[in-house]
Amino acid sequence: MAQDSVDLSCDYQFWMQKLSVWDQASTLETQQDTCLHLAQFQEFLRKMYETLKEMNSNTIFERFPTIDQLLAKACWNPFILAYDESQKILIRCLCCLINKEPQNSRQSKLNSWIQGVLSHILSALRFDKEVALFTQGLGYAPVDYYPGLLKNMVLSLASELRENHLNGFNTQRRMTPERLASLSRVCVPLITLPDVDPLVEALLVCHGHEPQEILQPEFFEAVNEAILLKKISLPMSAVVCLWLRHLPSLEKAMLHLFEKLISSERNCLRRIECFIKDSSLPQAACHPAIFRVVDEMFRCALLETDGAPEIIATIQVFTQCFVEALGKENKQLRFALKTYFPYTSPSLAMVLLQDPQDVPREHWLQTLKHISELLREAVEDQTHGSRGGPLESWFLFIHFGGWAEMVAEQLLRSAAEPPAALLWLLAFYFSPHDGRQQRAQTMVQVKAVLGHLLAMSGSSSLSARDLQTAAGQGTETDPRAPAQQLVRRLLLHFVLWAPGGHTIARDAIALMAHTAEITHEIIGFLDQTLYRWDRLGIESPRSGKLARELLKELRTQV
Amino acid sequence: MESLLQHLDRFSELLVVSRTTHVRTWDPVTVRRALQWARYLRHIYRRFGRHGPIRTTLERRLHSQWRQEGGFGRGPVPGLANFQALGHCDVLLSLRLLENQALGDAARHYLVQQLFPGPGVPDADETLQESLARLARCGSAVHMLRFNGYRKNLNLQEDSLMKTQAELLLERLQEVGKAEVEGPARFLSSLWERLPQNNFLKVIAVALLQPPLSPRPQEESEPSIHKTPGEGSQALVHWLLGNSEVFAAFCRALPAGLLTLVTSRHPALSPVYLGLLTDWGQRLHYDLQKGIWVETEPQDVPWEELHNRFQSLCQAPPPLKDKVLTALETCKAQDGDFEVPGLSIWTDLLLALRSGAFRKRQVLGLSPGLSSV
Repeated sequence: MAQDSVDLSCDYQFWMQKLSVWDQASTLETQQDTCLHLAQFQEFLRKMYETLKEMNSNTIFERFPTIDQLLAKACWNPFILAYDESQKILIRCLCCLINKEPQNSRQSKLNSWIQGVLSHILSALRFDKEVALFTQGLGYAPVDYYPGLLKNMVLSLASELRENHLNGFNTQRRMTPERLASLSRVCVPLITLPDVDPLVEALLVCHGHEPQEILQPEFFEAVNEAILLKKISLPMSAVVCLWLRHLPSLEKAMLHLFEKLISSERNCLRRIECFIKDSSLPQAACHPAIFRVVDEMFRCALLETDGAPEIIATIQVFTQCFVEALGKENKQLRFALKTYFPYTSPSLAMVLLQDPQDVPREHWLQTLKHISELLREAVEDQTHGSRGGPLESWFLFIHFGGWAEMVAEQLLRSAAEPPAALLWLLAFYFSPHDGRQQRAQTMVQVKAVLGHLLAMSGSSSLSARDLQTAAGQGTETDPRAPAQQLVRRLLLHFVLWAPGGHTIARDAIALMAHTAEITHEIIGFLDQTLYRWDRLGIESPRSGKLARELLKELRTQV
Repeated sequence: MESLLQHLDRFSELLVVSRTTHVRTWDPVTVRRALQWARYLRHIYRRFGRHGPIRTTLERRLHSQWRQEGGFGRGPVPGLANFQALGHCDVLLSLRLLENQALGDAARHYLVQQLFPGPGVPDADETLQESLARLARCGSAVHMLRFNGYRKNLNLQEDSLMKTQAELLLERLQEVGKAEVEGPARFLSSLWERLPQNNFLKVIAVALLQPPLSPRPQEESEPSIHKTPGEGSQALVHWLLGNSEVFAAFCRALPAGLLTLVTSRHPALSPVYLGLLTDWGQRLHYDLQKGIWVETEPQDVPWEELHNRFQSLCQAPPPLKDKVLTALETCKAQDGDFEVPGLSIWTDLLLALRSGAFRKRQVLGLSPGLSSV
């Protein structure tokens, strides 16, 4: 408590000084500085109020002798009055100063003075004498017409901006850069006032004709903040303009999304989908410049977390939402695929972008083979000098969870000889870094496991141990090694699908999951599989039920 | 119903008193009662403001109050000035009290506590608090936009300050018209005497150019109760036609382009406008030495301005343009139908207009808002 009071005194001095410098915020510098500090000052006011409301007028003045000056200065700064809830808190602080039973004339005068300041805050600062006289003459008070006046001013400014945007060559009607910058500064405290929305939208969408950015960065930051906290609702076109004009805002929006994902329940794709859709980023990403930035940030996240499965899952959900949004876009305004995936061959991009839902089930295998061929071509092609090599191709592939997650399933479901293309694809998906030799070895391994599993699939009495032997597991190798992951994946698919697999599912999982990490991996797999089945409608009731039960049980374990 | 009406009467009285030094005698109980009444009326308005019988009754009562206070010939109504104000009558009362320095200490303390109780206080009137906070925010917004973004629009009818004043005038006229048939005329005359005239004339012009008033959202469900929009404009035209010295000032003070727009929109005004222009024209005489038309008296309208106005009128769409040309031709004929300059001002005007029109077609950028010839 004592520390708090010391902090408050320090802050008090700081803000007293600031307010004196800002005065009525009539110059560019004072306006900019005020805008930068609006949120902090409001916090300070809140803290002050919490302290003041416990004291009576006399003790307040003993502790803060110049409090009346501080509050008055704040009241004379229109930026502060306009911001968020500052006017409310200021008023409450002033009310604390009122002496309930004034003992002398000085205290009475103080009460009168406070009443005057309160009245000033609420009297809606008058400007044009003529206008004031006119409205008074008609019998109207400011509360009657100020909302209407604000609306007219906002609409008039918005249409002026629009005209400026469209009529760039008519220099008479042009809005000077200074005026535009000034307008954007003035909007900073007003962002969350709904009446001002049309002006904010116009400022974002109408970018005039100057080659460099005129609007103040604090304006973009304030709008972005309001969008992320859902304190303003703007049309999508305005949001896209914001993110295109001010890169830090886009980055901040992505970081905001990441934070939400991290702090929410792990391994729940439905929730991830909700958050992603909520962020408006998929629709915005229909603009290639935004898509590239977003993709780059995903790539960085992936690299930093060493390919964490949660990030991969997020990328897949994002891409799915993105493709959906792209489908809804006006066909004529669509950009070429190359602008989204500049380092990929157009044919590969086109195949991958197909939604499995739109491809007949019988053709899924064929499509996967095609994808495999094209990818292999890109990966093994050294002469073209394609950017990034195998990792780039892998990064592209993992975007499309619909196909990537289907490979293992398809391999297990077909009784025929496993196609080499699919084996390659599976090996590539789990370890993109492998050299040719290594990958060939993995493919052989996988083929063997598949063979065993196929043999076991007809049997009605299985044991978890049998399964382990078939997988060649139990050796003391790194459980996180890709090959181990791959094999686990095959086994899990097996227990979900094979008729006999259901009975041994729990035992098999118990044997597999010797670390918390692996348990999470299995939970992730189950959640993702159920999510995918739901979308594609390929669930069999028994498998679905089993998967759901397993998921529930495992979730309680971690 | 009767108690409601009495409430309304009492409240109007309260509003009047709240501005006077009489509040010195008020104690916290009085303040509480006043605020309660305001809250009650606000609630009534919000619940029944759309409901036919209750609304009509309340309105009629208000109108009779206004008539009792001397109709609309005197200054602004001291009590409740319009029906919509009931929707925020609590704010009105609160602000009047807050502005009144005659309020005693105890009453003041109580008032402030009621208006700004702070978060989490039970029984607090949240609506009032929110309205007050919103008003403060709105006021700062207007202030900031006014000084940092607003620029006076040269087309007065598009200027936001002018538009707002015009909208208010039309609204008021409509309401006054409902209260008393002769209300608008007397009201406008009293405004003419009390208010800065130049601004008033501009507001009238802008009001006459506003698109027909759309009914306020909450009134959309009861169109039968209200007269058709445009009542306000009609009242204005009627008054202008009935007050020749006002109309003369109107035509003198306002720019040519604006007057052309107004006259196009309200054809009833064109004969009088043309009549005025004719009168002005006849006051000029030809100075042989200088070779130009000069004023007889210093306050007469000079040639340039006359020419300007006729030029603007000739750029208006057909009915008006034709009327003007016909009038000019008629005057020219009456003067002797001369073709030679220097003998009849009407001849010279027609000559100037014809050559001016030709020149104007060659130049880009005709004045905004008017259709080209």
